[in-house]
Amino acid sequence: MTEGRGNDRTADVLIIGAGASGAAVAWSLSRSELNIVCLEQGRWTNPANYVTNNDDWEYRGLTDWAFDPNVRGRPEDYPVNDRNSPISPLMFNAVGGSTIHWTAHSPRMHPSDFKVKTLDGVADDWPLSYEDLEPFYDLNDEMMGCAGINGDPANPPRSPRQMPPLGLGEDGKKLAAGFDKLGWHWWPSDNYVNSVPYGGREACNYCGPNGLGCTLKAKASTDVTYWPIAIDNGVRLRTRCRVREITVDSDGRATGATYFDRNGKERHQSARMVVIAANGIGTPRLLLLSRSDAHPDGLANSSGLVGKNLMFHPYAIVTGVFPEGNEMETWKGPLGNIFMSQEFYESDPKRDFVRGYSYQIVRSSGPAWLARGGFADAIPWGEGHHEEFARQFGKTMALAVIGEDLPELHNEVVLDPDLVDGAGIPAPRVNYTLSVNSRSMLDDGIANGRRVFEAAGAVDVLANPLLRSGGWHLMGTAKMGLDPDASVVNEWGQAHDADNLFIVDGSIFVTAGGVNPTPTIQALALRTAEHIAQRLGAGRSGDTNGDEE
Amino acid sequence: MSPSRGGRLSDADRRALAVVMDRLVPPVDELPGAGEMGLASEVEQRARRHRPLRSALITVMDALSMDMAAHAAGGFRALSEEQQVDSLRQVEAAVPEQFAYFMQLVYTIYYMQPEVHERIGWPGGAVQPDGFDVEPFDESILETARQREPFWRRV
Ligand SMILES: Cc1cc2nc3c(=O)[nH]c(=O)nc-3n(C[C@H](O)[C@H](O)[C@H](O)COP(=O)(O)OP(=O)(O)OC[C@H]3O[C@@H](n4cnc5c(N)ncnc54)[C@H](O)[C@@H]3O)c2cc1C
Repeated sequence: MTEGRGNDRTADVLIIGAGASGAAVAWSLSRSELNIVCLEQGRWTNPANYVTNNDDWEYRGLTDWAFDPNVRGRPEDYPVNDRNSPISPLMFNAVGGSTIHWTAHSPRMHPSDFKVKTLDGVADDWPLSYEDLEPFYDLNDEMMGCAGINGDPANPPRSPRQMPPLGLGEDGKKLAAGFDKLGWHWWPSDNYVNSVPYGGREACNYCGPNGLGCTLKAKASTDVTYWPIAIDNGVRLRTRCRVREITVDSDGRATGATYFDRNGKERHQSARMVVIAANGIGTPRLLLLSRSDAHPDGLANSSGLVGKNLMFHPYAIVTGVFPEGNEMETWKGPLGNIFMSQEFYESDPKRDFVRGYSYQIVRSSGPAWLARGGFADAIPWGEGHHEEFARQFGKTMALAVIGEDLPELHNEVVLDPDLVDGAGIPAPRVNYTLSVNSRSMLDDGIANGRRVFEAAGAVDVLANPLLRSGGWHLMGTAKMGLDPDASVVNEWGQAHDADNLFIVDGSIFVTAGGVNPTPTIQALALRTAEHIAQRLGAGRSGDTNGDEE
Repeated sequence: MSPSRGGRLSDADRRALAVVMDRLVPPVDELPGAGEMGLASEVEQRARRHRPLRSALITVMDALSMDMAAHAAGGFRALSEEQQVDSLRQVEAAVPEQFAYFMQLVYTIYYMQPEVHERIGWPGGAVQPDGFDVEPFDESILETARQREPFWRRV
């Protein structure tokens, strides 16, 4: 699936990265007559071969299919030096990018998230509003397929969801009752997981570990949503092509990219416009690698902000253990697609931190996952092992505290002086410290989480104060803003320093919100794509991914 | 036991690994410990397939052999069970990250065994294509949540 219109001539638009955002841009632009090329360092994955089809899926999740690229170590991965960070960045490198591994929990940011400076005096306001993004959230929901239900009092009203919510399970219902007892908000999550067949894809069969890839294609990853249509429309997607540098002319405008093809041969793809979609770590890495006379500190880095302000959502995990007689079989159903609570989402002057957090409810998984300490501590080895295992297996639920991380200059992605990837290209290094504000927020989330579990009837509550293997949201490293001295791109994702260079991934986030970021990343990407099409004077056909039921 | 050379376990290491695994995951009900179940060779084979795991296994076995050299003749197997556990705790403290990764492998192999699944009541094996049954969403559960007035922050 690499065919498409055109040949190796100069592309109108070159996209780097075929993940969540790259796919959305490619599809949107493919509705025009533009000549579009996408370079992706990873390969196609075949859902029929995903590891959940095998008896040893728990072993594969620990090794060559792990979330952490440093553990996985596939040829298409690049290493990330995370020794200076208490959180390990996670990602997947393939057509579909990290959506191959994501859980597809798909909330939106709140209107207040775009105005944190005005409302709370911290960080910066975004140069756009929730209302500006809303039509693109809607379009993305339609393309990815959203299971959910309207009426959530914690969020503005939104257009009808494509599918009803996923079943809550006995475990989900028990925890919902706990929230109800306290009078605290909860609402079924929006999920890009089919609760009924949609978009030519099957419904979820509640197998559980959808983070390891969905064999049914019920979970929307962009290799099964946006990409097939974009390729049908003529986009040329070239896999196993690792970009080393974005090239520029003497005026500093982008001219294309130099990359290593699947045979390790160095090539150049020229383009009128370049769109980077390589995620919150891959994008600053690439910009910093692209030094030139016109951009001596790295491409688009006259503000010095490329790589700065790295935000994760630091996660604390609160696990409730339910007593004997509550055999909820909490391995049944997708790990993180149940419901969320946003009782503590907005700033509250009574608390000792600004901004807030969401709770995402998560289940347990298979026995090995529990024993080795999925989200909590490992079950101790030795004499007490079997007893403790029996106490927890099938009887634990967890609240993932998704805290809003604020941007800080010292949290950053830089080029590592020693570490390189398989092609010899310098690898990124992450320097990150958890802020006092984030720590207080997570502690609050743990304390309130205990109350929820007590109300729901748990006999024990275990807390993991900071999940090391929780760096799945990568944001802020090429910040958006109106002032070229204080941001890397403008409100359209266009680089202040090179008007034919756009960035569409999580790097451009001004602040992180307290929710999973991907619907926002993709909505921004779709918005930028429309802007690019207008700029290039490209006509449109209006096809979307109509439900094929 | 001797320090392993060239990334491979010696025969003595292999024999010791089985005993180590019995201490880590001891017998329960009718099931013997993980070592006596014959899982040491699978641990070694699976570790060989993945470089970070291989290195964790070798590091742990090397550290164990060094700990032994300090206070025992006859190797790990010659120690009392209590001494074996003590020795393992020493190694865990000396190389915590590698020990934790090694433990993850031991648990993973143990909890992949059908007889273990039967004992713990887990359906076992591949979770696809069958999946599990979960009842469809029933809106009546939202009765309380729906009574809440909208409370998102207006801007
Ligand atoms: C385990 C896991 C669970 C997650 N769960 C959720 C969730 O429930 N909800 C949610 O909202 N988000 C979730 N996320 C995060 C979500 O996957 C990301 O936010 C999203 O995929 C980011 O999109 P992106 O386009 O910025 O980058 P990616 O999807 O990561 O895609 C970037 C692509 O660029 C390619 N690339 C990078 N550098 C180069 C180069 N030099 N040359 C060529 N190609 C390159 C990469 O190979 C990759 O395919 C999860 C992530 C993980 C890892």
